[in-house]
Amino acid sequence: MVHVYSCHPFSSQRIVQVEQEPGLVCCGGGALFVVVSGGCKVEAYSVEEEGCPLICRFPTMGTVKSIKYSKIGDYLVTIEEKNDATYLRAYTNWRFQVQSERFYSSGSVKYCVHLSAQAAERARVGVRLLGHLLRGASLRSGIQTEIIEIPLSERPGAVACCPITGDLLVACETTLVLFTLRRQNQESLIQSQHILHSTWRTSQQSPSQDDTSSSAVNVSILDFERSVLLHLPKFKPKQVALCGGYVAVQAEVEVLVLKLDASQENKTPEFSAPDPSHEDLLEDQAEFLIIPRHQELLGDRARDCDISVSIEKTGLEGRGQCTLSYVLFRRLTPDFFQGCSVEETQLHSLQLHPLFTSNQSVSEEEPACIFCYFSLPSTGYLYSLKGGIELLSTYQYPEKVLEAVLTDYLLHVITKGALQSFTVHCAAVAARIEDPYIDTTMKACPPSNMEVCALRSQLFIGLRSVCAFGHRVILLSTADSDTPEETERSTQRRGLSRKWTLSSPKEPSKVGHGWNLYVVDTVTPLALYQEMAEYSQRYAETNMQAQSLWHLLSEAHILLRASLLQRGAEEQIAKGGSAETQQTDPQKQRNHGELDEALRQNCAQLGDCFSRSSQECHLALPYYRMSGLSVTDIIARNRPFPSSPHSYGPGFLFFLKHYLLEETEQRLSQETADEVIDIFSQSEPSQLVSVCVSPSMVNISPARTLQILQHLEDSMGVSVTLTITMATMALHLGDLVQYAQLIGRHTEMALVYGFIEEPRLLVHGGGVRARPSVVTQQLITSMPGLLVAAMVGLHENNKVKLEQADQIFKELDCENCLLVDFWEAILMASSQEAVIQDLLFRLVSVYIDRLTNADTQPSSLQTTSRRRQLRNAEDLMNSCSHYGALYPWLTVLNPPYTSSSHNQEALHKLQSLLCGPSLSVDSIAPLLESLSKNTIWGLSLHLLCATRRGHYESSIEKLLDCCPQAIIAYANHHLQDNNMVFWWQKLLPELCNRTRASSDNSILLAALKETLVVVSSEMSPAEFLELIPDDATASYFLPYLLACSLRQLPP
Amino acid sequence: MATKTSLQKVILLGDGGVGKSSLMNRYVTNKFDAHLFHTIGVEFLNKELEVDGHQVTLQIWDTAGQERFRSLRTPFYRGSDCCLLTFSVDDNQSFLNLSNWKKEFIYYADVKEPEKFPFVVLGNKLDVTERQVTLEEAQQWCQENGGYPYFETSAKDATNVAEAFEEAVRRVFASDERTDHLIPTDTVKLHRKPRSASSCCA
Repeated sequence: MVHVYSCHPFSSQRIVQVEQEPGLVCCGGGALFVVVSGGCKVEAYSVEEEGCPLICRFPTMGTVKSIKYSKIGDYLVTIEEKNDATYLRAYTNWRFQVQSERFYSSGSVKYCVHLSAQAAERARVGVRLLGHLLRGASLRSGIQTEIIEIPLSERPGAVACCPITGDLLVACETTLVLFTLRRQNQESLIQSQHILHSTWRTSQQSPSQDDTSSSAVNVSILDFERSVLLHLPKFKPKQVALCGGYVAVQAEVEVLVLKLDASQENKTPEFSAPDPSHEDLLEDQAEFLIIPRHQELLGDRARDCDISVSIEKTGLEGRGQCTLSYVLFRRLTPDFFQGCSVEETQLHSLQLHPLFTSNQSVSEEEPACIFCYFSLPSTGYLYSLKGGIELLSTYQYPEKVLEAVLTDYLLHVITKGALQSFTVHCAAVAARIEDPYIDTTMKACPPSNMEVCALRSQLFIGLRSVCAFGHRVILLSTADSDTPEETERSTQRRGLSRKWTLSSPKEPSKVGHGWNLYVVDTVTPLALYQEMAEYSQRYAETNMQAQSLWHLLSEAHILLRASLLQRGAEEQIAKGGSAETQQTDPQKQRNHGELDEALRQNCAQLGDCFSRSSQECHLALPYYRMSGLSVTDIIARNRPFPSSPHSYGPGFLFFLKHYLLEETEQRLSQETADEVIDIFSQSEPSQLVSVCVSPSMVNISPARTLQILQHLEDSMGVSVTLTITMATMALHLGDLVQYAQLIGRHTEMALVYGFIEEPRLLVHGGGVRARPSVVTQQLITSMPGLLVAAMVGLHENNKVKLEQADQIFKELDCENCLLVDFWEAILMASSQEAVIQDLLFRLVSVYIDRLTNADTQPSSLQTTSRRRQLRNAEDLMNSCSHYGALYPWLTVLNPPYTSSSHNQEALHKLQSLLCGPSLSVDSIAPLLESLSKNTIWGLSLHLLCATRRGHYESSIEKLLDCCPQAIIAYANHHLQDNNMVFWWQKLLPELCNRTRASSDNSILLAALKETLVVVSSEMSPAEFLELIPDDATASYFLPYLLACSLRQLPP
Repeated sequence: MATKTSLQKVILLGDGGVGKSSLMNRYVTNKFDAHLFHTIGVEFLNKELEVDGHQVTLQIWDTAGQERFRSLRTPFYRGSDCCLLTFSVDDNQSFLNLSNWKKEFIYYADVKEPEKFPFVVLGNKLDVTERQVTLEEAQQWCQENGGYPYFETSAKDATNVAEAFEEAVRRVFASDERTDHLIPTDTVKLHRKPRSASSCCA
């Protein structure tokens, strides 16, 4: 379906003063080229200047059958005929006809007889053969127009120039020949170029805004190199197109698009057609005899078409081969059953159209998007070739179209009697390639494959051909093709558009010839946007939900996107030149501002459209966001009229919910916040809790809201989250009694679940900085256990991150006491290894910190002990696997009464962690180094560490030095199994030595006795004898030796 | 095409310095410059004129006479409707070379029936006092070679220039009425003559 909107894409027309009947017309580079009908010359007119003055004219060598202009290289290429022979020729440096022509001639047909010798010299046209570039040949007395004769072994039928590289593609009968553009920048040329350029510029009154001036600057001698041949037997090319390695070729009813890539592989790929006895074909033939089936093959599937292509590389440069891939095949067969004739299925207007995204530099990169357009008389097809090959739009024409031309903004088509324009959605494709995250809750863009629309058409008589350049459409009309049909239509013409201004409406009759060449200016995209926006208002007034409104606004949106792309491309070009001039140009800045403002406006309107729509209502969110409107504004835009029964649209509610869910810093005024409460209590009461807890709603009036919530509870029943929300309101009111009463209605466990369900009751600002809610602030003093449990619940349910919880506790609790409780609680609950190791380390630091601070600052003992810890060491050992039971020797080492209770708690927790299975000793070793080894508790920690690392010998020595009474408890606990050897290898010799030194030490003697008992029970008598010191008293050791021997006797 | 204008390609051949470029300039722009540069390669100008009621676009091809530009020149002989063999009356060698030019033209232009092809012979620099070639010698050569029209011209004084070109046009019309003298070819067949293709600007 094609929507038709009465918008005016054209602003004005000019008539080009051509004296002889134009045969062929093409345009580009600020110029319009007219091949005089039947003649052998080309006239170039400036379309940028007022009145389209003649730039120059130059002779051709034969009768021109086809002419194309290439922006890159500023050359023209023609297919010419003379004496039944067909030639391919490129015309370069044609602008250098300017000097003589402009100066001496004022539009006379014949060459001026007053030309000076030098001017005449330049007016001569040089001719050379492809590849026969003679150094210096082209710059004898300046640069002259030169024709490059391009010999071909077959008759050329169609040509195309690549808009990116300036390469040339020629279609012969069964071959496509690709010529690479070569530029010879001769050093000797530079000087003469310079002189010529300056003179040329002075002869140009107003340098054109396009790249014409730049192309003149970069004059270089052009040549072409035959680089690739594509053989297509059985395919008769009628038209070709070339763009960035993409080759499109069109026969009568078929279009084939191929992609050429340079590759290093040294093979010649050849694709041959599948066997014609293809299953599908057979099936077809059974039904339709020989008519080939209508086919559309995208991407690699196009290989299955029955067109074989082989590639032959002929270029001298580049060792690599070229590879060929199929991109698209389309066959459009006449539908005889619909009464279509063969001529109605003849394709025309093949085009490849590149589009650059705004973050690309046009000159260096290949375009982000390439589109392929071709047309039947009744229907046009636009495909997107990059980033997924797809049919973007189908253009259904109201009547038979003769020719079509695709531009960045619009598609212009001509029928015999009218010029009509259609919208083009290429910019939507480009926008998505430029920004892959465009279809999110943050951004949006209308779908690229939505239906196109036709804009108001403009009547002309006897249109023959159309071409386009920038914002201009060039039309050739000849009256002799005027048929009765035409006059009939012209009588039907209704009032011409109000924007339509005829510069010289009587021109045709005055001149009296039957043809005209028009330059029709299109309105700027911004102006067309504004008309569309105005037009959409009429739809909006009648029916906000109309599909047409959405469509029109989307079309307007894509138009603006196209302008933004264009702007980006211009900026990239300017970057290459002078960035400063670009920025300081006030007109440009104003245009930028207008464009940005238009886009915001359009997004606001699209937001309005979706906010009321039931379809795709979620799009209200991104569009409103892109509009930059405040929530207050958006609420005002969506306020239903008091008279209408209309309620709030689903898109609007979706937007509001998302907005409130987001942790923005933006706070609504009380008025707006209360309105939001009203909106939801009216439309979606179940969302009220979630609405109330949004940080943006902090300014709501609590009393009013509490009433509404109470009403909600009455109707919907009690829920924990609702109760806590009501309690929050009570806190806002300062009503602690009501708060306590509300909180008391649920068990702690139910409250924890309530918080998990709605975390924002506790924590605000999930993003960057977490803040405690009022409830949190209240709980920290009144129910710290609940707060810790709730936070652990949030953490374990991934509702809050550890850092965020830390932030909350740090903000509320200056001594970090509750934070430590929280960590201990997480340690009990968590099963994530990373979190556990992190917390173990943190807790060890805290415990060490407490121990050392307790040592140096006794006053802090009082403050920290003021708040009772939620869990003591005993609790943790009982309930948390990471806390191990204390080793028995620790009790000997550190009897309970030796330090303060707080200190002791910290010590016990730390010892317990060291006795537990999870703590990695290596990671905390640096922390322990700061601890004193002179205190018994310090020693105990060092010994625990050393033992955990297996340093038994040093530990035994340490223990014997400082606390020998614990040695047997230590040995009994640790020197088991594999470590038994330490009893006799280390402990026994140590004890013997030490008792020898102080024989009256009863503690050592007792230890020695215990040790001998263990050793004697483990060893053979011989081994035991070896261990007894030489100077030992035999009677002392004898009982142990006896016991040992007895144990060895057989029973 | 809609109009009846016909395009005629007329090519000027002859030794370097005999005044081919000057003749073309005199005819098309009615100017004379004694200090013209040597022509390099091939250049052309179009001139529209009316001869015997026929509207004609005369495409005059000026070529480089020097031997070293041979490869740039010869590919463009093909498709010529008339050849103007030019010498200078004060340079006997240029006159003697006419036969070579004729041969070169017939060979590269691929003329089907050389005896029927319209040549016109121009003896230029009539203004110079010391002639080396007499009128009789020149006329005899023309007679012996196929009855070509002969014009003694002076580009400097504008003597006989327009007459010579107009005669060329008439000759083309005359030969058109007899037969189509050119081999109907579709394209420039570059590779048939390797010399012209390979001996480029090395």
